[in-house]
Amino acid sequence: MRIPGLRILAALGFVAIAVAACGNNPSTQQKLSGGTATFAEAPNAKPNYIFPLTSGGFFSVANLSQFQFFMYRPLYWFGQDGKVQLNSSLSLASDPVYTDGGKTVTMKLKGWKWSDGQPITSRDVEFWMNLLKANVAHWAAYAPGEFPDNVTAMSFPDSQTIVFTLDKAYGSLFFTFNELSQITPLPQHVWDKTSDSQAVGDYDRDATQAAAIYKYLDGQSKSIGTYDNNPLWQVVSGPWKLKSMTTDGHVAMVPNKGYSGPVKPTLAEFDEQPYTTDTAEFNVIHSGGVDYGYIPVQDVDQRNSLTKYTFTPWIGWQITYFQINFANATNGALYKQLYMRQAMQHLVDQTSYIKNLFKGFAYPDYGPVPIKPANNFADAFEQSNPYPFDVSAATKLLKDNGWTVNAGGVSTCTNPGTGAGQCGAQIASGQKASFKLEYASGTVVVAQEMQALKTDWSKAGLEVNLSEAPFDTVISDAFGGSTAADMDNWGGGWIFAPDYYPTGDEIFSTGAGSNGGAYSNATNDANTVATTTSNDVAALHTYEDFLAKDLPVIWIPVNDSQLSLVKKTLHGWDPQDALLQFYPENWYFTSS
Amino acid sequence: MTGFLVRRLGQSGIVVLGVTIITFVLTRLLPGGVARAILGPRASPIEIADFNHTNGLDLPGWQQYFYYLGQLAHGNLGFSYRLNESVGGLLQDHLPKTIILLGISTLVALAIAVPLGMMQAVRRNRLEDYFFTSLSFALYSMPPFWLALILIVFFSANLNVLPPVGPQGAISTYLDPAQISALVLPVAALALVTIALFSRYMRSSMLDNLVQDYVRTARAKGVSTTGVLYRHVLRNALIPIVTLLGLSLPGIFSGALITEAIFNYPGMGLLFWDSAQTRDYPVLLGVTVVVAVATVVGNLLADVFYAVVDPRVRVAA
Repeated sequence: MRIPGLRILAALGFVAIAVAACGNNPSTQQKLSGGTATFAEAPNAKPNYIFPLTSGGFFSVANLSQFQFFMYRPLYWFGQDGKVQLNSSLSLASDPVYTDGGKTVTMKLKGWKWSDGQPITSRDVEFWMNLLKANVAHWAAYAPGEFPDNVTAMSFPDSQTIVFTLDKAYGSLFFTFNELSQITPLPQHVWDKTSDSQAVGDYDRDATQAAAIYKYLDGQSKSIGTYDNNPLWQVVSGPWKLKSMTTDGHVAMVPNKGYSGPVKPTLAEFDEQPYTTDTAEFNVIHSGGVDYGYIPVQDVDQRNSLTKYTFTPWIGWQITYFQINFANATNGALYKQLYMRQAMQHLVDQTSYIKNLFKGFAYPDYGPVPIKPANNFADAFEQSNPYPFDVSAATKLLKDNGWTVNAGGVSTCTNPGTGAGQCGAQIASGQKASFKLEYASGTVVVAQEMQALKTDWSKAGLEVNLSEAPFDTVISDAFGGSTAADMDNWGGGWIFAPDYYPTGDEIFSTGAGSNGGAYSNATNDANTVATTTSNDVAALHTYEDFLAKDLPVIWIPVNDSQLSLVKKTLHGWDPQDALLQFYPENWYFTSS
Repeated sequence: MTGFLVRRLGQSGIVVLGVTIITFVLTRLLPGGVARAILGPRASPIEIADFNHTNGLDLPGWQQYFYYLGQLAHGNLGFSYRLNESVGGLLQDHLPKTIILLGISTLVALAIAVPLGMMQAVRRNRLEDYFFTSLSFALYSMPPFWLALILIVFFSANLNVLPPVGPQGAISTYLDPAQISALVLPVAALALVTIALFSRYMRSSMLDNLVQDYVRTARAKGVSTTGVLYRHVLRNALIPIVTLLGLSLPGIFSGALITEAIFNYPGMGLLFWDSAQTRDYPVLLGVTVVVAVATVVGNLLADVFYAVVDPRVRVAA
């Protein structure tokens, strides 16, 4: 028996399902060419420096990953499919080849071109190296003895080949991820001069002239309003060229039609918009005025009501901790005792902070290697939480080492001395477990976290006197030997970029430039050196396991770098890069 | 009159100089070292020393001040090492934006408040007077940030007819229709509060003048009500408004921090606030000098305008 009505109904149902399926699948939606995509800059994180040889004041994600890299591509690109790994496809050179037991490295360029049609050659790499060697004091990533000091000789057999001779044998992981990653070929045929009127020459081969070139290019970078019409900045290697820029951080980029990379932009333009506060940005999100933005963590419960947007947390390649000052006159002796650091770490309730303060948008940190995104650098031990939240364990550690614990008050050393069961060297009888912790103001969740920590530590009689200060002040105090506090939390920990292999040689080695707490341990130093010379990731595991146990700092949860909101009509942005770079050349709009 | 102006200008110069000294000393009393704060945790001692030397921060304080003063005399307000731009360039970018925002809102407020205050005075103690008095009190007692948020919620989030942020990008684009519509809410947020203030002053001043003898005389001479109001009373009633305008001139140059922050408007208020947060001394000093000059000039202009609107002042001078 035929039932026409039922057949029509079935057909309509089929069509409806097909339409619905098309609506959810970008591959079946109509891909639009052109359009302008807008990206919201983080509050007060606006780009303001274009020259890739960047000094400390401008060495930021906003300037490098989210501005310079669009125009000036590093020799080796890191970040692929959301993971921290060498991206051979986007690199300007083929994978480096190590010979002579790791003392020589050879790189071959791919023959890509600058935007003016000139080839990118080994001379452009040499230009970078010459500028770097003559101006290391101005380069934020410089650490004495490391790159470029460890390159003892350079040769350029042809226009596409670069050979470095190193001062000793290095592991390929370390040298590629942390040293070669810092090379950015520069357009020597345009920039090799010391003034506007001078003709381009080979001035960089003389150190004095190389310093003058730096001064000239740095000077040209000091006028943001002229970036868009300064001919120097018009020759680029990346997929984008600068269209316009203002001093308050508005950036407009248009495609570099001569880009040689595998993916060419299809957007007509992409813009970065500055925001004074995350509230101002969120107001714009409400009205749909930005394509790629974020939701403040305090408003995250509203995410489901923003139906035009896809919500995706953005996880960065970083660790988070607060620094303890081993050299502090009052409490340095306490910090030098492992049992004390263990007790402190036992009293950090990371699970609770993540759930209640960060609303689930954070993950625990138990050691010096980031555990997210998933990677083979962080081993099982580090991720096992060696010092779980345990007030009893913390109390026992203190009691077993000569302290009279006064829960809710201040514990006191009552058995001084260096023997078993005693407080330890330079800790006098009656010394109180009372500490001063300074943290960065301006972020509600950081203040809440420090208040929670104060409460948790008091459960074993560790008193924390909190003070709040602007980020700059905390940084200044943490690394400037200030006695304003003996613990410092600047709210950011450490981001591993552009030294992507998380060896910690800059932060935990004895005397390292960014080891503000003056932590010093011979075993750690040896382990760290091994991470730089070994080709085996096991060396990194040894290093991280030791520091996860030895606690050079107090580990606290890593919050997601950004809680992204992306318009549902914008595609090609997923997955988000752990190195906080993004790829608008992959983006495109669909009609719905 | 000329002697009066010369004296006032001389006093103004001393005031501005005093402001630079006080600000310079206060900025140096801020805690923490500048170099480390600017260069961040990665900075090496070499880099810090180089930074201090390049920016003259290794010189004694008094030398730094005189160096600054010398540069100021040549029109050089210094360079912001944090924002990577000359202070002059930053002011060139931010000051016009603030002048547009504050200037338009002040003009809008005047255009509404003056006739409103007049109307209320003329029709005092009637329904419309009570209505606008209540409205003025309500608007004036509202915190500016709250009023701004209410406007955003209503006009942007609910009705979706106006953008929730002020004009963005280069000032050369501010005449685009989209940019003009973006200016509506921030101007409204500032103007509504100012209208409430100005209209109260205007009403009160008008009431004072309406009972003066010269009004009775004018009426006795047969001048029409409109003529009395516009030719005689208005001119005298504007004197307190001129004072208010003179005092609001520094505000036009220093910006409206809260309104700028809420509407993401990059004006002078935000520039100063960010600089204070980051110890950007050159910008702090530059903005302070500009605002000090604006304050002095504002007071000077107010005095001159007194003379224009009140012949008695001219005669006394």
